[in-house]
Order: sequence, then structure tokens, then C-alpha cells
Amino acid sequence: MKKTDILSLFLGALVLGGCEETIHPTLQSANPVLVVDAFITNKLQTQIVSLTYSQPYFQEQLPPGVSGATVSIKDNEGNTYVFSESPTTAGSYEWTPSGTGFGNVGNVYTLSIAVNGQNLTAQAKMGRVPKVDSITFKQNGGSGREKNFYRGQFWATDPVGPGDTYWIKAYKNGVFLDKPSEVNLAYDAGLSEGSDFDGVQFIQPIRNGINPDTTDVNNNPVSPYSPGDSVYVEINSLMLASFDFLTQVVTQTNRPGGFSELFATPLANVSTNIVNENSNGIVVVGFFNVASVSGLGKRFVN
Amino acid sequence: MAQIFKHVLRFLNSANRLIDVGMQRKLLLFSLLLFLLHTARAQTKSTINGYVKDASNGEALIGATVFIKELSAGATANSYGFYSITVPSGNYTIESIYLGYETFIKSVDLSRNVRLDIELAQQAKELATVEVIDPNAEEESRKSTNSEMSVNKMDIQTIRRIPAFLGEVDVIKSLQMLPGVSTVGEGASGFNVRGGSVGQNLVLLDEAPVYNSSHLLGFFSVFNPDAVKDINLYKGAVPSNYGGRIASILDVRMKEGNNKKLAVSGGIGTIFSRLAIEGPLIKNKASFIIAARRSYIDILARPFVSILKNGGALNFYDLTMKTNYNFSSRDRIYLSSFFGRDNFLFSRNQGFNWGNKTGTLRWNHLFNEKLFANITSVYSNYDYHLQFGQTSDNTFSWNSSISNYIFKPQFTYFINSDNELSFGTESIYYTFVPAQAISVSDGVTTNISLDKKYNLENALYAGNSQKIGRILSINYGLRFSYFNYFGPGSAYYYNDTIPGIRKSVNHEVTYKKGQSIATYHNWEPRGSFKVQISDRSSVKGSYNRMAQYLHLISNTTASNPLDVWTPSTNNIKPEIADQLTLGYFRSLGKENQYEVSMEGYFRKTENQIDYIDGASLLLNKYLEGDLLSGIGRAYGVEFYAQKKTGRLNGWISYTLGKTELKVNGINQNNWYPTRYDQRHNIKVVAFYEINSRWSASADFVFTSGTPTTFPTSRYVIEGILIPYNAYDSRNNVRLPPYDRLDIALRLEGKRFKKDGKERKNHDYWAFSVYNVYARKNPFSIYFSQGDMRTPAGQPIPSQATQLSIIGTLVPAIAYNYKF
Repeated sequence: MKKTDILSLFLGALVLGGCEETIHPTLQSANPVLVVDAFITNKLQTQIVSLTYSQPYFQEQLPPGVSGATVSIKDNEGNTYVFSESPTTAGSYEWTPSGTGFGNVGNVYTLSIAVNGQNLTAQAKMGRVPKVDSITFKQNGGSGREKNFYRGQFWATDPVGPGDTYWIKAYKNGVFLDKPSEVNLAYDAGLSEGSDFDGVQFIQPIRNGINPDTTDVNNNPVSPYSPGDSVYVEINSLMLASFDFLTQVVTQTNRPGGFSELFATPLANVSTNIVNENSNGIVVVGFFNVASVSGLGKRFVN
Repeated sequence: MAQIFKHVLRFLNSANRLIDVGMQRKLLLFSLLLFLLHTARAQTKSTINGYVKDASNGEALIGATVFIKELSAGATANSYGFYSITVPSGNYTIESIYLGYETFIKSVDLSRNVRLDIELAQQAKELATVEVIDPNAEEESRKSTNSEMSVNKMDIQTIRRIPAFLGEVDVIKSLQMLPGVSTVGEGASGFNVRGGSVGQNLVLLDEAPVYNSSHLLGFFSVFNPDAVKDINLYKGAVPSNYGGRIASILDVRMKEGNNKKLAVSGGIGTIFSRLAIEGPLIKNKASFIIAARRSYIDILARPFVSILKNGGALNFYDLTMKTNYNFSSRDRIYLSSFFGRDNFLFSRNQGFNWGNKTGTLRWNHLFNEKLFANITSVYSNYDYHLQFGQTSDNTFSWNSSISNYIFKPQFTYFINSDNELSFGTESIYYTFVPAQAISVSDGVTTNISLDKKYNLENALYAGNSQKIGRILSINYGLRFSYFNYFGPGSAYYYNDTIPGIRKSVNHEVTYKKGQSIATYHNWEPRGSFKVQISDRSSVKGSYNRMAQYLHLISNTTASNPLDVWTPSTNNIKPEIADQLTLGYFRSLGKENQYEVSMEGYFRKTENQIDYIDGASLLLNKYLEGDLLSGIGRAYGVEFYAQKKTGRLNGWISYTLGKTELKVNGINQNNWYPTRYDQRHNIKVVAFYEINSRWSASADFVFTSGTPTTFPTSRYVIEGILIPYNAYDSRNNVRLPPYDRLDIALRLEGKRFKKDGKERKNHDYWAFSVYNVYARKNPFSIYFSQGDMRTPAGQPIPSQATQLSIIGTLVPAIAYNYKF
């Protein structure tokens, strides 16, 4: 359970004399590091391993791709999936499924990348996911300014057996909800290890995690869903290391500001499971995860 | 005496062989004379003892000086106002002085033991703030009292005059005006002493530990100035009767309550109101005081702040009570209690609240003129409670608490005017409830609580405060502490791993009730000295070893109410500190109206706790796997100059200090600054008497920027912008410095009514402005990708935001009354 998860839900709205301003401090310069973004799924669409360099913090450009690498994933049954660099996007190494999606639940996958004379490697195990049973929408009701807002929730049950971890992604009208405040992670059916929610229906904060965090141009909240909107909910499996990684990512990136900063943890690097076989070689960050996915879509008809 | 006679005889026997009989007889006579003289002297010593009290309300005057003018021998009244001086019998002039009171002078025939209870009269003040001191008396008292260094004593009158936040006087905010004391900024609970963390200060209210001394996230302290009598902050040279924390001891004593007449006082301010009622239960023998406070800023701000309209609340209240009864001239019983609560609600049934509850029962007993005993028993509890969920079908509630039962018999034996022996024991029984959490999901209840933890901390101490000649006084003592963490409970054993990575659990061992899981013990020697170099200057030094068995676990920017207190376990070792201090103190000016001092300190600490990057500290059974242990060092020099008299008076304090940690797994195993390392710490406090009714005060604070961690680079994973520090450093940068000016004006109410009679109500108005030049002092700088959603294919923006908790000037008005 992270303090900031809970408190950021509420404290961001509290305005009582605290004040914020955007600044541009001078930062130390540093050599770039290699970034591997390898979240592979078994969906019937092109899978991408993205290889880029890190940038100075204030450089607001698309990350520079790293070309000329050899990328492949082997499983424990002897199958090899070769990823070839896209001719249009540098650093984007792709594999397109024909017929069946990538991999099988329970297999262990090893990612191998040879780039600029360095050999990088990582391992991931594909976990299982339950299916999404249904999606419902409800009006908030009650009193208060948001009483006419509609919120959606999905319904699914975690399979029995402790330790299943998931990333529940939601797409509103085809747009992936990927703000840091919208990252929805689950440990079994609960929020974290030790909360003992194995084998039951996902708890309410997770079910409600498919709602976008949006405000209008005047910073007033808007209804998450309105009649006519469509939502697609996708449960992606994570291995425990990936769940820990994404939990750290949320802690570092979900910054509602205001009084929630009183409870925020200081900046720290997040973990990685990618290893450079040459320990004195270039530093590598990023993550490799292989996910099975189940999904369900629904259009909100009032 | 008998010993000497025995030695003399033995000498004579051995000398017998060497000297003739005549000589022997002379020697015998001589030794007999020696013996008689000695026993004669020993038999003619008398003790004068008693209590020093305020004549107007019977309050014991802690730290008042009582001395015998002719001998320059004296003592300081202890925490209960008791003093005892043993000197050769004779006729003497007894003087007693205390700041703000008329000097008491009396001739006493000390041919036998005398019990003298002294009542000091408050000085009639034509000018409210000027303290008239008899410089000679002060000098005498200073020379004849014990060495006390690294102690800051704040009297409540001074505290009342320092301009406060929002017009409200505050004990801890005033302490922060002293050298060596600081804070990381508004919004931070607690305070830092000489580079120690917030959890390394022991805060006592009438001997009961207070685990969170802040209200409203650090803006105010839990101490109601109407109920506080005396505050002592030990930054070093801690006497052996205190222990349990390694940076400082803050000993706050409550008033007993006016035992002569009923008095009502209080105040109405923009943030909260106070009411205190005190009075006698039995005149001169028993009294009580009840002081209450309640804040209402959330009610006033409701129309302006949206979250408050939907049932939100941000308020606190506290109740401080005490009663006492002198049931004989040798016995006194005290019962004190504190109850406080802070509420922070986001909506009608969601939010969190926290607070302390304490109760202290004490018995003072005089066995004889020289042996004073105080037996204390305490109950103290700190808890917080979180509640989420708008309907009863889906809620999450979580409690955490720490409670203790303490038994502490303490004795002081006033051997003679040069020696004061203190000894005693302390036993603390702790119960920790790290988390009692209940989750209701769709009507199904799940209990996700963590195990309770039980501990016993015992200590035995003895110390002596000794004067050697006229120049040297020393304090030495030893404290032995013993800690036992016992079941029922589970102990976890973790796998070793690369430092800086979460340790996984290897195995778990379950313990039955009473079975010991881990024990620790420490010898804590204490010593200090004072050399009176001249009439007006002295050199003081000290060495302390302190052990701390309880740890405040916090990895946030600043300490906050949800931080967890954890005992030492099989994995967490007690923190140890060794501190050395050396200082020079001098009075200047014809009337000793200036005081200057310079004091250096060095503290080395072991078993300091820090956290891996990404540590998960709440509701985590395996919390210990996320903790790292290292060493620390804090050192610095404090300069202090005070002008004590005159229309313009006040002080300047400057501390140059550094505090850092070295932990394997953090900052590439190099020394790194702590979150509260502030190189320069300057405080200026001034009071000015305009006329008989108007006075002004101002304070200026400057502290160097506190350390923070900035990224160097950024990268994107799955559409999320992640900050990255390529050097894996911690606290590699400094925030901008913190500086602030506050001013206040005080208007005393008229003393006399139109008909010439004196007004019963002593009232005053306080007008204050906090942060006069509206500086936006940064609390933190954080990095994020901004609020707007980035369209696919576009680069994600990256921004840095500076947050100030108070970003503007804050005016306030308060009205205070006293009947």
C-alpha cells in the first residue's frame, strides 16, 4: 500500500495557501544510458521491443532510437522469435504474429539484444489472466458537484493461487489511458502483497481504476464517461518483478502536487531487469515483461 | 571520622618503633585534636531545604537559585521546586533569585536543619518586557550553581513575546529560534536538533513521552502555552536520568494550577481559541488547571475552499489537565493528563485523524532534608486512523498505534553543598500496533492486520553533580539500559543481497508469549564539566553516550503523522550516539547585560536507519527487508549573543553545521547529506518596548537550502515519462535557501478603569504578520510529466515544480485575556 496512491487521490484537490510554480533548474549533465522497453503481449498485433537512449531531463523530444541491434526472444521450449528493426522508426524492433499470438502461459522467455558490441539479456515468465466478465457504468449520485458524473468499473475474479499480478489497461474511445495517475496495478485482487485478496473479485479501487483522470481547460474535473463513449478493458499479466517495477514507476511519476507532496517520497531510480553482460559497459534501464492478455469492450448506452 | 582515628592509630603503631615516647605522646595528642576537630566540624553541619514557589499562585519555580551569600554555596530548585543545601552550621543570609521575580533575602539561623519554603514575588513591571536583574545576585548564582551546558531553558514569558504563526504563541516554534535547532520548513512535523532526525528527540510532557508533538502538520505544537510552565531542551550533556533518544531531550513541565485563587485566561484568534481555568481545590495545598484549545479555520474557510464544502475538515483540539495535592509537608501528589486530536477529512467519512493521549501520576516524597524522591507512573499512547470508502460496502480502514506504560522511581540525595547524587530506574513497557487494517470489498470483510509487537525497556542510572573548589564543577554519571523484544510475535530472517535491493524473506520464526526474540543492552556514560575562568566567563565541555531502542521510520520528504514507530528487533539494532561538546561562555557589559557563547559539538552515530530506493513502509509485514543500516556524523559550531536588558533586547544565533550518513547501498556507499542538513542557520529575535502599552517584536530566520535529489535524465517506458539520476546519488542538490521575517505588535490592555481602580482583566491584543516579504520558501521541487494527456506520437513534456507551503504573507489578530 503506497501512501501516495491513497493520498494523491484526495490531497491534490486541497487548496489552502500552498502554492506551486513551474521552474527550470539547472541539472547535472550525464552520459546517456540505453533504454529497453520490452512489454510483449500475446495479442494478435505487432509486438515491439524499443531500444532508445535516455535524454537530458528537459529535452522534450521523442527519444532517439538505437539502430543496428540484433533483438530476439527465446523460450524454454526452444522457439526463437526474431525482432527486426522497422524501416520507418529507428530503434523499434518488431515481430508480427501470424495466426497465434506470442508465447504461452507458464513459459519462461529470454530476451537477447546485441547492440554496439554489448550483449544485453533479460528473463520473463508469462503469467495467467482471468477474463473480464463485464463492464458497467453508474452515475455518482448523492450531493456535490460530481453527482451527474458517470464512472465505469469492470468485473473480473482473480484465480485462486496467491501471487498473480496484473496491469489493467483501459482505453477510452481507442485512446490508451496512460497517465501516471491512471496506471492500475493489482496483486491478486488487491492492491499489494500481504493484503490477502486471492481468488476473489477485484476490489473496488481496482475496478474503478479504468476511469480517466481528466480535467477541462479550467482545471475542473469532467465526467469520466459520458453516454456514447466506449471503453476497452485489458488485463495484462505481470511477473512479480514487473509489478514492483511499475509500482516504483507510479511512486516516482504520479505527482498530483499540493499537499500530497508532504507525503511524497524523494526521487529515486526505478528498478530494471535488463542486464548488460559486460558489467563495465553502458548502463541499461527499462523492463522486459511477457504478458497474456484478456480484454472486453463496451459502449456506454444510457 | 572513626576511619581517620583508625588510620592515626595505625600510623602511631608503626611509627612507634621509630620515635621516642615523648614524641609519641605529642603525636597522640595531636591526632586526638585532629579527630575532635574533624568530628566537631562534621557534627556541626546543617541542611536548609524546602520548595521555591511563586507567591501569587503557588507554582513551583523550576531552576530557581537558592544560595548562601557568605559561602557562595547554592543549589538550583529541581523540577518540583525542591532545593537542599548542606553547609557548616552558622548564621547566614539566604538569597533566592529567578528571572522575572524580586530577589528574596532572608537571614536564617542554620544552627540546626531548617525547612524554608520560599515564595518569590513577581516583579512589578512598569515596562512589560524589561526584566530588572540584580547583576551581582545573578553573578553569584551563576558561579555557585551546577555546570549546565547545551541546555536551553525557555521561560514562558519569552515564548509569549516571539511573533508566532497566525498570532498564536507556540513552544516549539520558539525553540526553533535557538542555536542548533531547526526544521525543514512549514508542513514538517517535529524539529531537528544538531543534525539529528525528528525521531531522535525525546519529547516529554510531565514525563510522558509524546510521539508526535505537532498539530496541523507541523504548524503548531501540542503544547498549550496556557498550561506550560517550564521548557528545557537538552542538546548535549544529557544527565544520566534521561535516555532513550540520541539527539535531544525536550522536557516540558506543566503548571500545577494557581493554588491561591481562581484564574481564567484564554485567547481568541483567527485560527483557534483557547481557554484555561485554574484554581485552588484546597487553598495553598491543592490546585488544578484545565486548558483547552480548538481550531476552527476550516469552518471559516468553508465558503472558499471546495473540499471543505463536501464535508471536508482540517482541525485540531487538545485538552491539558493537571491537579496536585500536598498532603503533608513531605508529600505531594500530581496527576496530569493530555488529550489531543487532529482531523483531516477529505469528505464526510473519509480521511484520517491522529493524536496523543498521556496520563502521569507522580508522588514526591521527602525522606529527610537531603533525600528527595519522585515516583512516576505514566501511560502514553499515540495513534492514527485512516478511513476510505464512501459506502459501507466498500471501505478501507487502518489504525496504527504505539502505547506505553512507564514506571520511574527517581531519587536525589543532596549529600552536601558540593555533591548532589541522583539515582533511579526506569521501566517502559511498549505495545506497538503497526497496522490494524480492515478492508470491506463488496460487503466482504478482510482483515489485513500486522502482528503487534511487545517490548520492555529498562534502565538503571546513577550520577553525581560535584563542585570542586570555587572554579570547577563536574557532572558524571552512568546509565545502563536494557531492551527486550518478546513474543507473542514472529521474527523474520532475510536473505543477504546486494545492498540497496529489497531483501527477501528466508524464514519466519514464531515466538510464544513472553519468549524473548531479541535483547540488547548498553552502557551509557555521561560526563560534563564547567570551569569558571573568571567572574564572567566559563568553559564547559561534555561527553555523552546515548542509546535509542525505538525508531521513527519515514522515507518521505518531511516527517508527517503517518510515520511508523518501530522497536529494535532481531534485524534492527539500537541506534547509538557518542557526542562531544566544548564551549565558551561569557557575560559582557557593566551590568552583565550581554551574554555571548560559542559551543562546538560532534556526534557520531551507529545503526542509523535508511531505506532502499522504492521502499514500501506502510502495511508491510516485511518492512525490515526495505531498511538499510549505516553510520552518521553531525558536527558544528553554535554562536549565540543575547542582550538581556533595555528597551531593545533580544538575541542572535548562528549555527554552522553539517550532518551526513554513510549507508551501504545508498549513494554508491559514499557519505551523503541527510534531508535536514542545513549548513547555515541564522536566527535573529528582537523585542522593542515602544511605551507602557505598545511593544513590538520581530524575528528573522535564514537557513541554507535542504538537500534533495534531482534527476539528470529521462526515458519513456510504455508511454510514461520516468526521471533518472545517472549517478545513482541521493540528496545531490540543494533547494533554494529558506528565509523569512515576521513581525508582531502587542497592545497591552489598560491597567486602570476610568474610576482609577485596577482592572481585573489583564488582556492584550496581538497583531502579527508572518512572512512579511511574502517569500515563497520552497518545501520541495518535484519532477513530472505535467497534467495534460500527450497524444500518441508526440514527445512527452517534462517539468519541474516548486512547492511552497506558505507562499504569501499571513496576517493575524488575536485577543488574549486573563482574570
